[in-house]
Amino acid sequence: MLKRHISKVLLLLVYIYLYTPIFILIGNSFNASKYGLKWNGFTTKWYELLWNNDTLLQAAFNSITIAVFASSIAVAIGTLGAVALFKHQFKGKKFISGLLFVVMMSPDIVMAISLLALFIILGLELGFVTLLISHITFCIPFVVITVYSRLSNFDNAILEAGKDLGATEATIFKRIILPIAKPAIIASWLLSFTLSLDDVIVSSFVTGPSFEVLPLKIYSMVKVGVSPEVNALATMMILISISFVIAAALINKSDKSV
Amino acid sequence: MNMFKTAIKCVAAALLFSSSAYATTINFYNWSEYIPPGLLSRFTEETGIKVVYSTYESNESMYAKLKTYDKNGYDLVVPSTYFISKMKKEDMLQEIDHNKLTNYKNLDPSLLNKEYDLGNRYSIPYIWGATGIGVNTADIDLASVTSWTDLWDPKWKGQLLLTDDAREIFHMALKIQGHSANTQDETELAQAYELLKELMPNVLVFNSDTPANPYIAGEVEFGMIWNGSTYMAQQEDSDITMVYPKEGAVFWMDSLAIPKNAKNVDAVHKLIDFLLRPEVAAEVALEIGYPTPNSAAKKLLPKEFIENKIIFPDAETIANGEFHSDVGEANIIYERYYEKLKAQNL
Amino acid sequence: MNNSSMFKRFSIGILLVWLSVFVLLPNLMIIVTSFLTRDDANLISLTFTLDNYVRLFDPLYFKVLTHSVYMASIATFICLIIGYPFAYTISQLPKKIRPILLFLIIVPFWTNSLIRTYGIKVLLAKKGLLNALLLNLHIIDEPLRMMYTEFAVIFALVYILLPFMILPLYSSIEKIDKSLIEAAKDLGASKFTTFLKVELPLTLPGIIAGMLLVFLPAMGMFYIADLVGGAKNLLIGNTIKTQFLNIRDWPFGSAASITLTVFMAGLLFFYYKVGKSIKNRGNNA
Repeated sequence: MLKRHISKVLLLLVYIYLYTPIFILIGNSFNASKYGLKWNGFTTKWYELLWNNDTLLQAAFNSITIAVFASSIAVAIGTLGAVALFKHQFKGKKFISGLLFVVMMSPDIVMAISLLALFIILGLELGFVTLLISHITFCIPFVVITVYSRLSNFDNAILEAGKDLGATEATIFKRIILPIAKPAIIASWLLSFTLSLDDVIVSSFVTGPSFEVLPLKIYSMVKVGVSPEVNALATMMILISISFVIAAALINKSDKSV
Repeated sequence: MNMFKTAIKCVAAALLFSSSAYATTINFYNWSEYIPPGLLSRFTEETGIKVVYSTYESNESMYAKLKTYDKNGYDLVVPSTYFISKMKKEDMLQEIDHNKLTNYKNLDPSLLNKEYDLGNRYSIPYIWGATGIGVNTADIDLASVTSWTDLWDPKWKGQLLLTDDAREIFHMALKIQGHSANTQDETELAQAYELLKELMPNVLVFNSDTPANPYIAGEVEFGMIWNGSTYMAQQEDSDITMVYPKEGAVFWMDSLAIPKNAKNVDAVHKLIDFLLRPEVAAEVALEIGYPTPNSAAKKLLPKEFIENKIIFPDAETIANGEFHSDVGEANIIYERYYEKLKAQNL
Repeated sequence: MNNSSMFKRFSIGILLVWLSVFVLLPNLMIIVTSFLTRDDANLISLTFTLDNYVRLFDPLYFKVLTHSVYMASIATFICLIIGYPFAYTISQLPKKIRPILLFLIIVPFWTNSLIRTYGIKVLLAKKGLLNALLLNLHIIDEPLRMMYTEFAVIFALVYILLPFMILPLYSSIEKIDKSLIEAAKDLGASKFTTFLKVELPLTLPGIIAGMLLVFLPAMGMFYIADLVGGAKNLLIGNTIKTQFLNIRDWPFGSAASITLTVFMAGLLFFYYKVGKSIKNRGNNA
């Protein structure tokens, strides 16, 4: 009984740890002080400013768009790859693992400049496409590692059995592997989405004037101080995310009752 | 799953229709918050020229990007002081036609024609500022602070804020030793390095965002600070102030410049001229909290802002300080020494 | 060609092509650059040199490297200590609420890292919340200096990277076959023995994945070192960024990046070998 309490306390503590800075910024989104270090009274003016700040809202929308596309594509490529790496012995296996490691290890700035150079050589115009390619690239290793670790230790005999029963590779993938890998796939999508949403250095080099993303906007404010509008924006985004969680939970519940 | 598909369709549609309907477009590459909200749409209403505003987080990354990607697509950038002279030297900028700028006359002559761009043929001053000594007078007697050497006092062990900028930090030592802050002389730099080594034990933080924060938060009471940040900090805590050291402060200027491959150069000149209007320049200065180089705009600003000696130091103080210009190959000496200094306390 | 091998070729091919074009090619350029010479006006001049690698032997870079390995290791270790029991506890909860709890882990991270870091600053500041709390509880008499210390850097690193530990761990703990644990219990194993002999080995892939996803990015989190570490508690990411942006010595920066990659690969390979031999010995015993 005691042990159960201890583990609940642990959960609670970790959530407090994760959410304290978030509560601070939510508080500051209503703080009249621009610097958010002292409480200067309640205000909603940052929300009003945000509402009229089209470029900031557009950048937020662009960021979410990129993050959704990049993480979905990275998850598709990475999951297929992880499954292939797990199932088959083939020549390029070490080569692929090596390149994945290189991506993980490359400092942001190195990836940024080398990708920029590549895009120049390929003659691609900087914008949505180049940004998407770059984000997919740095998300892939996170997907492969997460999915692969879930699959390893998994009994290959089931796959063999499937094959013996005449299932095609695609069927085996869909009917056996995907259900097993599902938690890892979801986890890696979430990780990729997070990475993409937050990238500054790579994005600043591989995007053009036509496609501005949020982190770039925010980091370029440091010189005069980050505007509390950003706190207001973050608060909105958190509220939207949390309402998604609640909605999903409710849908889940009604599914079960059917 | 269906919901997901619908979402993707919506996003795709939004992307397709977001392309503009304007004939002329200018791509303006700047710091965020350097333009008050709504200002650029006023320009668009007036001229029919659309301005796409994108932002960078440091001069260094702006430079690296423009240097590599020469079809850069940016029509107007805002480099700080010595990046103007560097980019000019490397043929990355094009000349600005002063005849097309009816409002050029509004600029303060004492801030024009500086060493980094004599005659201002490549740069139009936009916002300027100074780096001096930040003091929290709640704990420190203001009269006791007069010189950069005050930072070296051993009583500040582990307590100072320095700006995270090699040139600004060498500025202090070079000025104390009576040299130019733009020196390219190796022995002078070596001497300055030796002096700075003695300063390092006093350093708490090399600050890379606005220095107002650590002063307001009470993390630091003494160190370097920018004049605009001081003004901002004073709104929160009136004890915070800035001293212009007797050896001379650091001055910097963020200027409008046109990259070599800019298109729509005529439209860009129109935008520059718009930004030089007194009422526009005044609005910008108030938004950022830094001094404007626009004399005509000063008349439109609130009295307390204009009369603040920290924001607008007198001509003598400006003359005593120094603007940084490009030091060419010597830059690497500054940066390599700085690298060593930062790792000294590791 | 039958369907099966088409599917296999497709899944390997797409990853292989992607990595070759967008990772191998750019990195080949970096390798070439690392043998060229710096040029102030043109960034790079086409003169072959080995000097960039020779200069890396400066004790300065060694100091920064060992410091970042040290910081990243501590951060990874703390993430593991917090993350494992956390992921374990969640995996024991009813299936319905698990996804919600996991989702709540990741939601804070959809806020921009700079803004979150400012939140951490407010927490750790001299006049900040943590100090206020400790003062009110009379645990301390004077506010502690936490900002701009190694403590602050590690605090922020753990904060930023924790989900990268928890999610892979969870996905590998969750799949453990409950019957194995029951079997161990039936055989009279204590809870601790069961954990050590059954659960830990089975979740090892998840532990390794989590450690990789935390340790490697931790070395490069330059903005953490800048904003909460006061740019004194440098990580290797800061140094390499400085080479490219401030010093504009791209060849040297490239050489540093390549050396870092090779060094880390060597380090991981070493751990892998040691881990394997320990495992083998364990199996033989």
